[in-house]
Amino acid sequence: MAGVQVSNVSRSFGAHKALDDVSIDFADGGFYALLGPSGSGKTTLLRQIAGFDFPDSGRIAIGGESVERVPVEKRRIGMVFQNYALFPNMSVADNVAFGLSVRGEPKATTATEVQRALDLVQLSKLGGRRPHQLSGGQRQRVALARAIVTKPRVLLLDEPLGALDKALRVDMQIELKRIQREIGITTIFVTHDQEEALTMSDRIGILRDGRLVQEGPPEEIYDRPQSEFAATFLGDANIFRGDATGDGIRLSDGTAIAAGAGAKLTAGARASCAVRPERIQISTGAGRSDAGGANVLNGQVSKRIFAGSNSTYFVDRDGQTLKVIIQNTGAERLAEGQDVVLRWSPESTVLIAAV
Amino acid sequence: MATTRILEGLGRLYIWLLLAFLYLPIIIMALMSFNVSPFYQLPFEWTTEWYAALWQNDQLIAATWNSIEIAVITTLICTVLGSAASLALYRYDFRGKKFLQALLFPPIAIPWLITGTAMLIFFFGVGIGRGLFAILLGHVALALPYVIVVVSARLQTFAPELEEAARSLGANQWQVTSRVTLPWIMPGVIAGGLFAFAVSFDQFVVSYFLSTPGQTTLPVEIYAAIRKGFTPEINAVSTIIIVVSMALMLLTARFFKFGGEK
Amino acid sequence: MAAQGATATRSGLRSALPLLAPAYLWLTVAIFLPLSAMVFFSFMTELSLSGKPWAFTLGNYAAFFSQSLYLTLLLASLRLGLEVTLWCIVIGYPAAYVLAKVLKGRSREAIFLLVILPFWSNGLVRIFSWAMVLREGGILDTALNAVLPFKINIDLMYSYPAVIIGLVHSYVPYMVLTCYLTLQAIDDSLIEAGRSLGATRLQVLKRIIIPLSMPGLVAGAALIFVPVVGSFMEPRILGGRTGTFYGTVIEDQFVAVFNWPLGAALSFILLAVVLVILAVASPVLRRAA
Repeated sequence: MAGVQVSNVSRSFGAHKALDDVSIDFADGGFYALLGPSGSGKTTLLRQIAGFDFPDSGRIAIGGESVERVPVEKRRIGMVFQNYALFPNMSVADNVAFGLSVRGEPKATTATEVQRALDLVQLSKLGGRRPHQLSGGQRQRVALARAIVTKPRVLLLDEPLGALDKALRVDMQIELKRIQREIGITTIFVTHDQEEALTMSDRIGILRDGRLVQEGPPEEIYDRPQSEFAATFLGDANIFRGDATGDGIRLSDGTAIAAGAGAKLTAGARASCAVRPERIQISTGAGRSDAGGANVLNGQVSKRIFAGSNSTYFVDRDGQTLKVIIQNTGAERLAEGQDVVLRWSPESTVLIAAV
Repeated sequence: MATTRILEGLGRLYIWLLLAFLYLPIIIMALMSFNVSPFYQLPFEWTTEWYAALWQNDQLIAATWNSIEIAVITTLICTVLGSAASLALYRYDFRGKKFLQALLFPPIAIPWLITGTAMLIFFFGVGIGRGLFAILLGHVALALPYVIVVVSARLQTFAPELEEAARSLGANQWQVTSRVTLPWIMPGVIAGGLFAFAVSFDQFVVSYFLSTPGQTTLPVEIYAAIRKGFTPEINAVSTIIIVVSMALMLLTARFFKFGGEK
Repeated sequence: MAAQGATATRSGLRSALPLLAPAYLWLTVAIFLPLSAMVFFSFMTELSLSGKPWAFTLGNYAAFFSQSLYLTLLLASLRLGLEVTLWCIVIGYPAAYVLAKVLKGRSREAIFLLVILPFWSNGLVRIFSWAMVLREGGILDTALNAVLPFKINIDLMYSYPAVIIGLVHSYVPYMVLTCYLTLQAIDDSLIEAGRSLGATRLQVLKRIIIPLSMPGLVAGAALIFVPVVGSFMEPRILGGRTGTFYGTVIEDQFVAVFNWPLGAALSFILLAVVLVILAVASPVLRRAA
């Protein structure tokens, strides 16, 4: 087991900068998600760590040892591919045994190790099957067993759950997490699914256009996004733009919005505030300043989307549409066109410096 | 709907007529090779004397062995060289790759008359001359593009992640190739090999220009015999050839389809 | 992008060369150098190896243009190519259509294989098999006279039609193959959409199916036309004395007259014609591939 340090890694393909000075420290035994839209460089970064591709500049270390020029077959990593990449000409057991057999392990130890790995992924009895006789979830488990049986220093997962349907994906998320805890391996996991990243990982790195936008524990990124992109890419957010006042911002129409979290900015600078839709309370009646110092805005419901356990209201306010998510507690539902008051606390408001 | 059914019926009938056009001459030739009359007279009387006579024809037998030998060697060389080239074209990207791929088509598209006479001139000019070695040189060159095309087609169905997965598990280049890539493309290699055999075994034009009286192949020998005058012996040997080459192609089709779809 | 990265690290001619070199060297020695040598020889007065003195000359090409025989024969060969190609379209396209759109499942596979199978069997022998059918007292003659009430003489052997029949028989599977591949790729829903918009069968054929299968038609036509123009064995066997074409003249220069430089010039002219045809067809061919 080992941690992975990525320091100032850049990689270009022609004029396209796929990675631009990226540095992340993946601590030993952690579960990391690399999250970003397609083309953000997350897969490129994973392939640099794996050794399929080498950086133009920068350093990659696994367990303190520089590996940025070491080819993949010498890096002792385990990788699970998006389409599993199981060898179709081999049985499940032979697939799992492949890594041990190419390094010349004795047959007896190989067989024991393979069985142990298959037990771990709960496929003890399927060693004789061929990959095409397995379901998607089973293939996923075989790919995982194959990747960990060689006791790699780090486990790399490239959108491993992308090909599974929703219900199976949730099962596999839990399963993957269990196995990772059990063997305690440093795991780096590429995904474009924000929910997956939030539920599975200890830390998340958000990439955009080849740059690392923000990195930290899921709660921190969700509660304290440092950019509008991070705020809107990981979860939903209402964004207000204006001038910093010292403890919040002032919108162009003079309305002040107090922010209790986020950056400290000098008054007058361009800034924005982000508020999560579920932090806003919605009520009928006229708005007035609140004694508790909460932010208050008036608006009009333009649309309501019912989604079972909750409802999403779109509220028009001075040319901006705000999104509010309310749990369905059985209380009266608001009609479209109705005038409403929105209220939320400054602690739920994150101040973000304009880029 | 009624019109549709009538049209479809006509379509089926048409296909059977086409098949009759394609196969009747061959079937008649095969039948005549078992007919007593050397002038193909009817009524038909069964005999195998023409096949027996083939055994006495040393020249024909020698040419047959030459054909088989050359076809086997061509097959071996083409599968090895062709598979290697296909792998390189699949795996690596480099300047001029498109050009190299385009170079495979002239040998297929240019009429054999031109290729054959050009080989004759060149081999004569550089001292290789005519004969079995020259024929082998030519056959390999004619069959090689087919093998590369067939193996490359099979490689198209190969997921590059499989090689990456093998490397991530610590396999070196040779282990990746021998344990993951080759097993996958094997049906393509076998199909390509059968193709090469057929191209060589059936090749007439190029062999014709490159052969000498002592060093010749079966089709060239048959052509010479036809131009001397038809005999039932030619029917017999032609029937054998056509059965062999059709069987080969059926085999190829089996492998290639198996390769292409699974 | 990711794939680009993967190949970039392992890229380069250097890694590919050891695998590529043997195959391409072989092709160079046995195909590309000979074709170049042929061009060179076509400008020589004598074969340098015969020991006689030789010089460069344009005479071989002058012979082509000054003696109307060669040009006439080239035109005859081009006409032969055109006729055979047309017959192959007329016979092959409907067959390809039936295979692609009427037959289904296993019977389609089996019949398709049966149609293209002869193409891969020995061409010389197949041409020869027609001799038995077409000659006087041959099968066609005997069969027709057995059926018809009156006596007719069928002796097509050693005639232009015999050459056409033999060549069409040889090459029609090619047309079926290429047309089948493009026709099969046409989604049936396009045809249904056409019908639902009120088009008749004929209109659907003319305005949807034929345009969409054009690449297959052109590919088939090019791949038939080119070798037919260069054919010599088929006219020799089935055409007899009427079977003198451009290809047979080239053959003569090499195996009978031994005027190799003239043969090389004639071959090169044919190659030029072929290359022009392939170049014209290549955009469509590439689309078909």
